[in-house]
Amino acid sequence: MSEANGLRQPKRATADLFLKLGVVPVPDGEKAAAAIGHLDEFRTKVRSFVMAMESCVKCGACAENCHTYLGTRDPNNIPAGRADLIRKVYKRHFTVQGKLFPGLVGAQDLDLETIEKWYSYYYQCSECRRCAHVCPFGIDTAEVTMIGRQILFWLGIGPQLHTATSGAILKTGNHMGLTQAGMVDTLDFLSEEIEEEYEGLKVTFPVDKPNSDVLYIPSSADFMLNANTLKGAAMFLQYVGANWTMSSRITEAGNFGYLMDQNRVMREMVTRLMEETTRLGCKKIVWGECGHGWRATKMYVPTMSDMPASRKIPMTHIHDEVEAYVKAGLLELDPKRNARKITLHDPCNYARACGHSDNMRVIMNAVVPKGAFTEMRPNREANFCCGGGSGILFDDKKMYEYRILASNKKAEQVRATNAEVLCAPCSICKAQLYPMVKEHKLPVEVVGLVDLVGNALVFRD
Amino acid sequence: MNVFIGQILPYVAVTVFLGGVTWRIWRWMIPQIVHNITLSPWPKSWSAAIVWILWQLATFWNLLKFDRPLWFGAWFMHIALFLMLVGHVLAFYTLGLQFHILVPGLITPELSLWLSFWFGTVLGLIFLLALLYLLGRRLVNEPVRAISSASDYVHLLLLIGIATLGNIMRIFPEYQVGYIPVREYLAGLFLFQPHPMPDSLLFLAKYTLVMVLMIIFPFSKLMHSFGFFWERWIINRPFHEPARGLPGAGVQLPK
Ligand code: HEM
Ligand code: SF4
Ligand code: SF4
Repeated sequence: MSEANGLRQPKRATADLFLKLGVVPVPDGEKAAAAIGHLDEFRTKVRSFVMAMESCVKCGACAENCHTYLGTRDPNNIPAGRADLIRKVYKRHFTVQGKLFPGLVGAQDLDLETIEKWYSYYYQCSECRRCAHVCPFGIDTAEVTMIGRQILFWLGIGPQLHTATSGAILKTGNHMGLTQAGMVDTLDFLSEEIEEEYEGLKVTFPVDKPNSDVLYIPSSADFMLNANTLKGAAMFLQYVGANWTMSSRITEAGNFGYLMDQNRVMREMVTRLMEETTRLGCKKIVWGECGHGWRATKMYVPTMSDMPASRKIPMTHIHDEVEAYVKAGLLELDPKRNARKITLHDPCNYARACGHSDNMRVIMNAVVPKGAFTEMRPNREANFCCGGGSGILFDDKKMYEYRILASNKKAEQVRATNAEVLCAPCSICKAQLYPMVKEHKLPVEVVGLVDLVGNALVFRD
Repeated sequence: MNVFIGQILPYVAVTVFLGGVTWRIWRWMIPQIVHNITLSPWPKSWSAAIVWILWQLATFWNLLKFDRPLWFGAWFMHIALFLMLVGHVLAFYTLGLQFHILVPGLITPELSLWLSFWFGTVLGLIFLLALLYLLGRRLVNEPVRAISSASDYVHLLLLIGIATLGNIMRIFPEYQVGYIPVREYLAGLFLFQPHPMPDSLLFLAKYTLVMVLMIIFPFSKLMHSFGFFWERWIINRPFHEPARGLPGAGVQLPK
């Protein structure tokens, strides 16, 4: 079944791809029963899921606060409506009222049609958690989305994008399928660029360098799409004289496992990370600009990884480190080099899941001239998602149109600032905002935050 | 019939209510908080987390901030409900002398009765109006209607029924049921020494609706009153940041 009932659905991965990820797709006739079995397991394991199922009062406060509902006005995109796609089934099977009075309480049996709806609407949610931020109880619909996606994955249903990307991770250690040789080539090229742009400045990008103190994890998209981010990070690390390296086995700050399969794929990423810190002798991990991947690491590694290194190794974000150096007055910065009017998009995973609102502003105010930085509203933990969160960066026509609709709110926010530059320090935000800026005809350039740091650093020998 | 409603149903209702609530909470305690999914900016400590949760509880802060029209209905409805629940207990126990007992120097018994009457009446009216407002909102507001099922209306109608009956008994003297007959009846229930119910159809109707509410409570969304604490315990908890600084770097942060 594809594009069932005119639902908006991303292109599906083939059974073959699933088999490669260790999943045996479930035949249509058995899907409903299998899904119920999984729900039954989750309800005895994950409390955040059970509470989302059992304590929503249908007050609707979340509706106007979810960019997907604002963009589509589709009731299934209201966070409570999205959760209801599972909740109806949950009620039918696991609650007294749903067993006795299904019609009264809105309980339903699970059928293939509903599973198709899951596929549609759990891949329209960007797991941005703005609903949790505004709900009077803090009900986190992203938790429901994650479980919806996980069950779909086990049934053998998932987008080509997420599934193929997960396959690439297992094979090469990054989403883009870069090989070590390709990586070194690109990095040599970036070194040359820096040399040209910054009067002969020599910056190196070590890969797999043994006995490094710091392991830097870049987003693989930074090798091509956002090269300035990678350059900025390298310039900072070189400026402070860090003994750092990247690893060719985990050249990926993102984690598509977290977005689809939080068991095999996500764990594989986490395991590699720990293996590589040990192999390269690193004492600290520093993360690049990627929102979901940073959350998957900062918040999940302590409870997910049982690798010995995970108990010992401190993990911070490059923004944390730059902030600390800025605050200590250890960086000589020339803000005039970033003299355009700029605004900041708070990536959801930084602002609502990782506690990053302050550090981005400390950095911003240090690297642009006074008065150049304008806040968009709302901002910080109340910010709206870019519309691409959780990797829903689909290219098929219907889903691409959806991405643009889901970014309506963001476009409106950006326009109101009159900025010339839109800083969005997260790879998925950037990948979403490049087309968003184009389709909404916004006169802004999209950049990362470390880019600006690199550009403002004054090197003296 | 009167014996069933007056002397049997109350015990059933209380048992189902307490047992049901305990059962639901017990079931919430089986699954775990698997990962720390606290919302940032997170509280610095557990005490800060608890203060934040209580603040959310007392003010309905999120509604105030993100959905002002809903806050109006919801906060006034809940506050009136809470104060009336407390008021019921106090007034029947002290026969309306609660304010006199609390501040004996300042408030005479007559004043206390007067206060008890006016507090109850005003809160009852606020409660009813807020419920009607919430019902209207549920019918008119497009997204809210879209996510509502029949039971969402049933809860509101049930509360509206209880509030209306209560208000009638309070506002129209001819329908009033005094504190004393009710207390005698309730005391009988507590002491297992049956005492007849006050002789009033309105009382019977309201009392029955309250017991129906208690029986459906554990099997409905009304469990959100407890769910609030369990959900926020997951979502508002502290997290400790690792120290900054790059080991082995040439330029070191000051200690
Ligand atoms: C800890 C105690 C409680 C908290 C924090 C709480 C909080 C809330 C919140 C935030 C809402 C959403 C706003 C709304 O739709 O009005 C709500 C709705 C509601 N609450 Fe409560 N509540 C509590 C206790 C109760 C109790 C004890 C009852 C009734 C017996 C109750 C009945 C309702 C009803 C009927 C609604 C739905 C209103 C509607 O349909 O719009 N609540 N509650
Ligand atoms: S805000 Fe929370 S309680 Fe209200 S409808 Fe949304 S998820 Fe349910
Ligand atoms: S996580 Fe974001 S996109 Fe998903 S339902 Fe909540 S507010 Fe909407």
